[in-house]
Amino acid sequence: MISFDQVTKKFPLGNVALEKISFDIEENEFVFLVGPSGAGKTTIIKLITKEINPTSGTIIVDNFDISDKKFNQQIQLRRKIGIVFQDFKIIQDKNVFENIAISLKVINSSVKKIKEEVRMMLKFVNLTEKEKVFPVQLSAGELQRVAIARALIGDRKIILADEPTGNLDPKTAWEIMKIFKKIEGKKTIIFATHNTDIVNSLKKRVIVLKNGKIFKDLRKGGYEL
Amino acid sequence: MKETWMSIKRAPFQSLAIFLILFFTVFLSTLIFIGLTFLYSFLNYIETRPQVTVYFQNTASTEQIFRLRDELTQSGKILSIKYISKEEAFNIYKNMNKDNPLLLEMVSSDILPASLEIYAKKPIFLPQIAEYLKKQPGVDEVIFQKDIISKLVTATNTIRMITIFFFSFLIIMTTIILFVIFSFKIALKKEEIHLLQLIGATKNYVRSPFLKEASFFGFFSSLISFFIIIIAVLYFEPFLQSYLRGIDSLSLNLVFYNLNIWPMNYYFLIVTFIISSLFSILIATIASYLAINKYLD
Repeated sequence: MISFDQVTKKFPLGNVALEKISFDIEENEFVFLVGPSGAGKTTIIKLITKEINPTSGTIIVDNFDISDKKFNQQIQLRRKIGIVFQDFKIIQDKNVFENIAISLKVINSSVKKIKEEVRMMLKFVNLTEKEKVFPVQLSAGELQRVAIARALIGDRKIILADEPTGNLDPKTAWEIMKIFKKIEGKKTIIFATHNTDIVNSLKKRVIVLKNGKIFKDLRKGGYEL
Repeated sequence: MKETWMSIKRAPFQSLAIFLILFFTVFLSTLIFIGLTFLYSFLNYIETRPQVTVYFQNTASTEQIFRLRDELTQSGKILSIKYISKEEAFNIYKNMNKDNPLLLEMVSSDILPASLEIYAKKPIFLPQIAEYLKKQPGVDEVIFQKDIISKLVTATNTIRMITIFFFSFLIIMTTIILFVIFSFKIALKKEEIHLLQLIGATKNYVRSPFLKEASFFGFFSSLISFFIIIIAVLYFEPFLQSYLRGIDSLSLNLVFYNLNIWPMNYYFLIVTFIISSLFSILIATIASYLAINKYLD
C-alpha cells in the first residue's frame, strides 16, 4: 500500500529531515510512527500526502509513484487519504455536520449520500447529538472525534494521524484510541505519536525514527528510543 | 449564499471595503455610460438633421433644381436629398403658424423658395458640397451646420479619449485594490484552504466560494449604484426635458438594433443595469480569481 525506498528529504537551508529511509506498509496495516520532535514523523506524513517532494528515493502510495516528477494525480491521491491533526483543524464557522460533510463535498457526492454517510459517521464517533453544534461549543476530545469522522468518511483507504492525542488528556486520548481500534484492519493507519502508553499497550508495528533515520522497525513493539 | 454571508460576517470591514470600491467604480462607470450614450445619441440626432439646406431663387426652374439634385446624388458623397417645393414649403409654414392667422395672410407660396435638404455621408464632405452649391446658377442661399457638427465630433472624440483613459485607470485601480482586499480575505481562510487541498479538493472547488462572494459583491454594488442613479435621473428628468425641448427622441444605432435613449424608458434603464452589473461582477470576479490563484500557486 505504502512503500518508501531510500527516501531522502533535504530542506533548502540544508537540514536533512529524512535520510535514505525505506519501509513498506501493507494494506489495512496499523503502524505507529514514533520518535522525538524533529525525527521526521511529520515529514513522512507530508511526503505521503505530497505536500512536499522527496529530494531522492521512491515513494509508492496505492500504486501511485508520487516521487515521479511527472506525477499529476495529486487530487486523486489525496481523495484516498484521510488526515487527523494534533490541532484538529476544524473550520470554526461550520457546524459538526458541515465539518464532516466537507470530505464528501470535495468529491462531489450527492446531498442524499452526504446526509446518510455523515449521520452514519456521527453515530460511529458518538456525536449524533452534536450534529448542529459549532466547534466553539465542543471539548477537545469532541473536536478530535469530528476530525476523525472527517478523515474516515468517503471511503478513504489510508488514515494519517499526526499526533492526534497530543493535545488531549490521557482519558480523552484513550477514547480517541478506541475509535482507531474500531477501524483497525479496515484501513491503512499511520499513527505518529509521542504517547508511550498507547504505543506500548496496543502492541502494533512501531517504526522508530531518530535524526531522520529509521532507528527500529518493530513488528509488535513498544515505544523505544 | 450561506457561505458568502458567513464570509462577510467573518471580515465585515474588508467586505465593506470591497463593496465601497466596487460601488464607487460602478457608480462612476454607469454615469459615464449614460453620459456617453446621451452624447452619441445627440450626435446621431444632429447628424440626422438636414446638414446642408440650399434655397433657390424664384427664377430657378424645377428642371434646374432636379439636375443639380441628380449631379449631387451621383457624386458619391450624399446620403440622401429631399426636394421641398414652394407648395410644400408653404404647407410647412402653414403648419408651423396655424395659430397665427396674421402671419398666414401675409405669406403665399410664391414668396417661399424651393429648397433641397441634403444629408452627407460624412461631415467632412459638407464644406465641399456647400462650396459647390454656392457656385451653381439659381442658388439663393446655402446653409450648413459645419461648425456645430465639427465641434460636436471633436468634442465627442476628445471625451471618448478622456473616458478611455479614465476608464482604464479606474479598472486597473479597482482591480488592484480588490485584489489586495481579497488577498486579505483569503489569508483569513488559509487554514481552511490548506485543509481542503489536503482532502482532495480541486482548485475550482477552492476558488468557488471566493468567486461566488465576488459575484455577490459585484451584483449588490451595481444594484445600489443603479438605484441611486435612478433617483438622480428622476430628479433631473424635468431639467433635461426643458433642456432637450424640441427633441422628440434620441437613439443610438447599435449593430443589431436601435436603442432609444430619450425620453427615458425602461428598456434603456434595464440595458444600463445589465451592462453595469456584468461589468461589476466581471471586475470583482477577475480580482478575486487573481488573488486566489496567486495563493494556490
